[in-house]
This record gives sequence, structure tokens and C-alpha cells, in this order.
Amino acid sequence: MTGTDVLALLPELVLVLLVLLVLTVDLFLGREQKWVLTLITVGGLLLVGVACWEEWGVNLTVFAGFYRVDDLSVFFKVATVVIGILSALFAPSYLKQRRLPLGEFNVILLFSLTGMFVLASASDLITLFIGLELMVMPAYLLAGFAKTDRYSNEGGLKYFLLGSFASAILLFGISWTYGLTGSTRISEIGGLVSGGGAAGLIAISMLTVAATFKVAAVPFHYWTPDAYQGAPTPITGFLSVGPKLGAFALLVRLFAEGLGASGADWFGAMAILAVLTMTGGNIVALAQSNVKRMLAYSSIAHSGYIIAALAAFAHASGQTLIVNGSHGVADPGLVARGEAIQSILFYVLGYGVMNIAAFSVVGMLQRDPRRFGGLAGFAGLAGRAPALAAAMAILLLSLTGIPPTVGFFAKLYVLVATVDAGVAWLAVAIALNAALAAFYYLRVIVYMYMREPESDPAPIDTSPLTAFALAISVAGVLLLGIFPDPVITFLRASAASLF
Amino acid sequence: MTGWPILSLVVFTPLIGVLVILFVPSGNHRAIRGIAVIAALASLVFSLRLLGYQSSGTEFQYREDISWIAAFGMRYTLGVDGLSVVLVLLTTVLSVVSIFYSFDPIQTRVKEYYATMLLLMVGMLGVFVSLDLFLFYVFWELSLIPMYLIIGIWGGPRRIYATVKFVIYTLVGSLLMLVAILAVAIAHASAGNAFTFSYETLRGFGYADNLQALAFIAFFLAFAIKVPMWPFHTWLPDAHVEAPTAGSIILAGVLLKLGGYGFLRYNLPLLPDAAKEFAPIVIGLAVVAVLYGAMVSMVQPDLKKLIAYSSVSHMGFVMLGVFVFNTQGLQGAIFQMISHGVTTGALFLLVGVIYERTHDRQIAHMGGLNGRLPRYAAIFGLFTFASIGLPGLSGFIGEFLVILGAFQYSAWVAAATMLVVIISAVYMLWMFQRVFFTVPSGWMHRFWPTLTDLTRNEWLALAPLIVLVVGLGVFPRPVLDATAAPVQRILDAVNASHGLTSFRLPW
Repeated sequence: MTGTDVLALLPELVLVLLVLLVLTVDLFLGREQKWVLTLITVGGLLLVGVACWEEWGVNLTVFAGFYRVDDLSVFFKVATVVIGILSALFAPSYLKQRRLPLGEFNVILLFSLTGMFVLASASDLITLFIGLELMVMPAYLLAGFAKTDRYSNEGGLKYFLLGSFASAILLFGISWTYGLTGSTRISEIGGLVSGGGAAGLIAISMLTVAATFKVAAVPFHYWTPDAYQGAPTPITGFLSVGPKLGAFALLVRLFAEGLGASGADWFGAMAILAVLTMTGGNIVALAQSNVKRMLAYSSIAHSGYIIAALAAFAHASGQTLIVNGSHGVADPGLVARGEAIQSILFYVLGYGVMNIAAFSVVGMLQRDPRRFGGLAGFAGLAGRAPALAAAMAILLLSLTGIPPTVGFFAKLYVLVATVDAGVAWLAVAIALNAALAAFYYLRVIVYMYMREPESDPAPIDTSPLTAFALAISVAGVLLLGIFPDPVITFLRASAASLF
Repeated sequence: MTGWPILSLVVFTPLIGVLVILFVPSGNHRAIRGIAVIAALASLVFSLRLLGYQSSGTEFQYREDISWIAAFGMRYTLGVDGLSVVLVLLTTVLSVVSIFYSFDPIQTRVKEYYATMLLLMVGMLGVFVSLDLFLFYVFWELSLIPMYLIIGIWGGPRRIYATVKFVIYTLVGSLLMLVAILAVAIAHASAGNAFTFSYETLRGFGYADNLQALAFIAFFLAFAIKVPMWPFHTWLPDAHVEAPTAGSIILAGVLLKLGGYGFLRYNLPLLPDAAKEFAPIVIGLAVVAVLYGAMVSMVQPDLKKLIAYSSVSHMGFVMLGVFVFNTQGLQGAIFQMISHGVTTGALFLLVGVIYERTHDRQIAHMGGLNGRLPRYAAIFGLFTFASIGLPGLSGFIGEFLVILGAFQYSAWVAAATMLVVIISAVYMLWMFQRVFFTVPSGWMHRFWPTLTDLTRNEWLALAPLIVLVVGLGVFPRPVLDATAAPVQRILDAVNASHGLTSFRLPW
């Protein structure tokens, strides 16, 4: 380990030190002083964000090729920090009402973020696996965080069992890959499929299954609704975006970076998974009367849109000759490939902010712990809490994909990528699915604005911290939707480090 | 004041109104109504400045052009030609009328109501003045959500069903249109051009046949649902019946015109080959719409539903006029849009007047109103005749020109639509007779002593519409002059096209 190695690891080191700090300080705080922990966590995460930003433009492969710092990893890390900060801000009030320990929550959350950091920087399959486990192990704990709650236990256990199963498949896939290519370096497994014959197919199938399991793609999604519904609501918000961001970092690293050249071989699988996932998620979400569960299923659909972008990437790599997107560039597929990766990045960031905030609104309506986030609880919200209803309405419109919100621009980005890659039928599938999704997202607006409140309306959590975080998120959703240019510049540079 | 961003002022003055309203306490109805009507009036006043449009000058005037999302070449480009000018004016006039008319009927959630109405105005006006396809799409969607809320919150008993149907229908169309917009822009960029969504740049480009055909279908769906064209019209009667009066006025008066405008502005000039190829199919659908709308209108028991179905028929005329591709047809279509906006807007307002007094719209429950409400009956009669197309009123000009255009296309088509002019007289006059002339129904007797004729506010709301319907009927020149140049440009584009030679689905 050299000095450069350590320097490259600076954000991760700060993050781990932060974990230890929170753990220690927690011991010395009385019950009423726990808010200090949130302060430390958020402040520390801001510091981590600065440390990440310092790595912008640095292109380093350290630890003998196991770990890589490039602009893509910086993007994922900054997005991780954003999600981490929002989670830390949304959770305290909810946890306090249920007497759940805030210190442990922060510690576990930060550990999970560390895993996401490692995933973002992994340049070797071993690192990738370690990062993944470091991310999901805390996530299992978070899902079962309400120790005395039956549903939380069930969700946590389900998540753990199925998650471990998927991890095992991933590990198995990695060992096949190693056997076929003689390497675990992501940059050296490119010939896996073309050179591996039937064995190569088995290997790539296992990698695909395991990776798409982690983003809850249909038909590997069965753990999602239970895990999401059982977990304390703000934690569900984190689970639905954090580990998903990490899993998409994994998908990008593994498929776009490692297997990008042989995109034609896995385009079909990804395209089918994308359509299945968005359609399946949406159709089941249609039938939900519980908002928390509806958001859980709809998060599956959103995964589908992002997988569609990955499929567009594959198509653009596979058939460089007939791709539309030349834009006067020498390699016609390059622009389309870049757009596909950019759209994945934009989507995970935008989706992260809007979804975590939407879950937090559900959480705010659960001040009474016997409330489970049913639709009826939203009835007449516009009359009782106009600002909260307006915020939720904006978030829902963003999730639907109505301009001028970040959700709209994210979908637009994916559509551009798919059309440019020459898979317009995928774009049509996304468009039809978005219309389908409108049905259940707008239903919540119907309840909030067009129905009378129930006789004993759910009390609303009015903690200023949660309100503050919600206000930031909504502002972000609108701002990124109207002026996405700065972020696009940022993620164009990030995506460029792949090529 | 040529240096002023006049179009931005027209479009965004209502938005300023929304922001001001948000800071007024929700109990202060007077202030909220005042601000709303002032904001709408201000927008109307700014839009009057557009009357200075030079029909002989450059195509798009009062242009504004700023970079917006540079990464994809999306720009904030505004500009108007004669077609936009007349529709912008229609929008501002009808918005002021409907906001003003809402003073009495809307007593619940007043603050939200006026904020939503003004937001709706922003979206509609934006559609008519955008010259960037992406910007156009943003405004297009922006006009959807406020209408969704207006029907859903202030509507009748089945409002939720109606509004969800309205939104889902419209969204399906518009999302497919988004894909088509992207496909068109990307195809243009692929030829080595800069990535742009600029309408003026994209319009002249020769797109491949496949793309034209598919993009045409996508645009067609979006606009045909909005128009609404048979067989995509089923959301309209539901939406109208449940919408509050002002919502109906805007819906029939302006929102349906977004579809017609879309055909004229985007479908034809952007994809002329496909337009030429598909024209016979569209004309066929239009003739069905004209006939079907009129026949179904005859049997409607509900006043609003009757007018809604008659809208399907009238908008069928618009579609027919657009796709026969000749000067008379196109000018007639545009004129018909304006005239239908004024006439139908007024009819919905008048239905609202009686609904406010009796809370009922069933034709069977009316009768003999002429004796009790003579002024109301007179005005209702005026607009009934305008809707039928009596010469001297605005409805005649549009229908006449469209039929003239249709005759050049095919005598049979013209004959079929002529027939409808008779049917429309049947359903409108029969309705008028049952409402105003027969003996009052037992139901109506209950209200008889309390029925009052038009109030001052109602007169004020109706006055501009009466002026327009008579004025345009007697002196249609201003509209025809303003739209002559845009119509010629559309015809040039379509006539220069060759139709599709090798169209096949890409998969």
C-alpha cells in the first residue's frame, strides 16, 4: 500500500472514521440528545462529499488493480452521499416516535454507504463482491430494524435469505468467469461470452440473474414488496434507492465496462428483462391500496426503465453500423452508448431523490404507529395540510414523468438513449408503461385533493427536520427538472471515463 | 414597446398571478378573485399587442430565443404567425370569461381553483407560441394537470372517473408523441446536424419514409385524442358532463383546439409525405366523426352531453378541412376552430347559468323557459343558431368553407357533410324547443318562482362572446387574412411532398 493508494481511498477512510465517531459519541449521549448524531452524520457526509469531489478528474487504479478512482466512481459516490444525507434527515423523527435507536440506524446506514462506495470504485470482481456484501448486509439489518415488529422481521428475513441466495449465484458466476477467462479483472473479462461457448453462457446468465436480482427486476423481484413494506418507512425510502444505486453501479461496471464490447450477446436478455420489469412492476402496483406497497412495486417499474437504458447501451455496442446516432462522430455507436450510460446515471440520481422523499411523506402520515400507509390516510390531505399535499403531488407527478420535474427529464433521457441506439420499440414500451403508471400515481392525488378526509384522520408528523429535508428534495426535483444542464455536464464527463 | 418580450409576458403573467395568490390567505375570496381576473386580463391586454402582427412580414414574429438545456439543444423559442395569433387571442378571451364567470359558482377551495385556472392558461398559451418541439411538449403536458384537477376537484358526482379517463387517454397519446419528437430530432441530428428541437429547422428536413409514417401515427394519436376524433372521443362526454362550467368552457373552447393546432403546426409541415399518404384515412375518420357526433347528439337527454357530442361533430369538420389540403378547407378549419371555441364556450356557459339555478341539466326537466327568462332564451337562441351555422353568425363561415374545400376533394364527402348541417339543425332546434317553448315540466315548477334572468355578471361574461360571434359572422376578414399566409405555407409543404414510397414497419 503506497501513499497514492491511501489518498485514493480518502473518501472511504473519512466515511469509516465517521462511522466510528458516531458509534462512540452515541455512547455518551442521553436519550434527548440523540439529535447530535444526525448533526454529526450529515456534517460528516458533507465532508465525505467534499473528499469525493477532490477526486474529480483523477484517474487512478490502485491496490494492484483492485480499486479504481475515475469520474464515474465520483458520480456514484456523490449520488450516494446525497441519498445518505436525505436518509439521515428523514429518519430521526419517525424512529423517535417508535423508540428505535437512532445511533444504530446512523451507523448501519453509513456502513451501507461504504459498501456503495466500494462498489462504485470496484475494478475487480472480488472487490465488486465485497462492496456488494458490505452494502447489502447492513441493508438486511435495516429492513428488520424494528426488532419487535413482526412485519419488519419477516421482511428482513426474506430480504436476507433471498439476497444471500443471489449473492451466492453471483459468486458462482464469478468463479465460472475466472475459470473461463483466467482473470477477475473487470477489464479482462470481455471475451467471456464469445470465447466461452456454452460455459460462457452459463457464467453470464448467473451474473445477469444475480445482478438484476439486486435491482429487483422481474422475475427476481419477490423479495421487494415484503422487505419494503415491513421496514420502517424512511428506511424503506433508503432501501428503495440506496442499494439500488449500488446495484446499478455494479451493473454498469460489470456489463458496460466489462462486457460492453459483446453487447450484442446480452442485449436480448436485458431488453426482455426491461420490458418484463417495467410492465410487471406497473401492473402489480396498479392493484395496491397501500401507498407504501404501491411505491415498492413502482420502484420495480423504475428499475425496468433503467435496465432499458442498459439494453440500449448493449444495442449500440452490438450494431455500430446501423445505429442512428452518428451526430457527425466517427464511431456512430459511441454517442448512443454514452447517452445510455448518462441516462442511467441521471435516472438513479433523480429517482433517488424523488422516491426517498415520497416514502418520507408516507412516513409523515404514520405518526400514529398503527397506521400502515393506506390510501385512505391520504384522503383530504390537501385540506388538512396543503403544503404537504402539494409536495407529495409534485413528487408523484415527477414519478409519473410529467414536466417540468426531474422524473420527466430522467425518462426523457432514457427515451433519447433508446431511440438513438435504434431500439425505438423499447422507447414505445417505456412510454406506454409511463401512461400505465400515471394511473396509480395520480390515484394518490385523487385521494389527497378530491376526496373528503376520513373521520379520524391520521396525525401528521410536523418535525421541522423532516419538513426541511422534504423541502430540499422537492426543490431539487423541480430545479433538476427545469435546469438539468449542470448535472448533465457533470455526468457526461463521468460517463466518458468508461470509454 | 417592440423590445419587450411580449410573448413571455402573455404566457407568464398568469403564473405571476398564481404566485401572488399563493400568498393570499385562503379565506379572502374577494382578493383571490380580484387577482385572478387581473392577471388574466393583463395577459389578455398583452395579447392584444399581437394584433400588430404583419401578415406580409416574416413568418414568425415577436420571436424570443434563449438557450435552455444546451446539452440537448433545447431552446426557449417563442414566436407567432397568424394561426397562433388568432388562437392566442381566443385563449385569453375565453380564459378571462371563464375566470370571471366562476365568481359565483365556485365557492369551495377558491384559492386552489383560481391558481389552477391560471396555471392552465400558462400551459395553453405556451403551446400556441412555442417554436421548439421540446418546449411545446412541456407546455402540452403542463396544460393537462390543471384540467385534471379542475374536473377532479370541482366537478360533478362522477368526476373522478371522468378525470382519470381524461388524463390516461391524453397521456397515452402525448407520451407516444414524445417518442416521436425525439425520433424526429435524432434523425435530423444523425445526418450530421447539430442536435436541435427547433421547429423551423426540423420542419424542412426530409425524413425517411418509415420514420415519417411512425412519427405521423404517434403525433396523430396525441392530437386526435385531444381533438377528439372518432373513435378516440369517448373521454369527452364524460369530462364535459362532470366538469364545472368554467372547465367545460376552457375544455371545449381551447383544449380541443390544441389538437387541431397540433395537426396544422406539426403533423403537416413536419411530416408532409406521411400526411399526404394518410390523408384519405383521416378524412374517412373525420366524416364518420361529423356524422356520428351529430346523430348521437340527437338522442342526448343531458344538455351538456348534447353539446359535447356536437363538439365531436364540429371538430370533425375541422379535421376534414385540415386534410383536404386546399386553401378553403384549411382556412375553414381554422375559422371553425375559432367559431366553435366562441360558440360552444358560450353554450356551456349558458347551460351553466340554468344549472346554477336548478342544479339540473336534463332536457326533459326543462320547458317553457322562454316565458320566464326571455333574455336568457334570446341569447341561448343566438348561440344555438350560431352552432347550427346560420349565415351572419360565425358558425356559417367555417362550415361553409370546409364544405367548399371538401367538394374539391370529393363531391361525396361534401354531400355527406352537407347532410350533417341538416342534422345539426334538428338536434339543436329540437333541444331549444324542448327547453324554451313547451310547457314547463313538473320538475321546473318547483323553481319557477325563484328563477331569475341573466345577472349583471353573466351579461358581462357573455358580452365579448356575443360580440365575437356576430362580428366574425359578418366580418370574417381579419381571421381569414391573418391565417392566409400560414395556410399557404402548409399547402406548399404538403403539395411539394411525394407521399410515401417505401413504407414498412421496422420490426
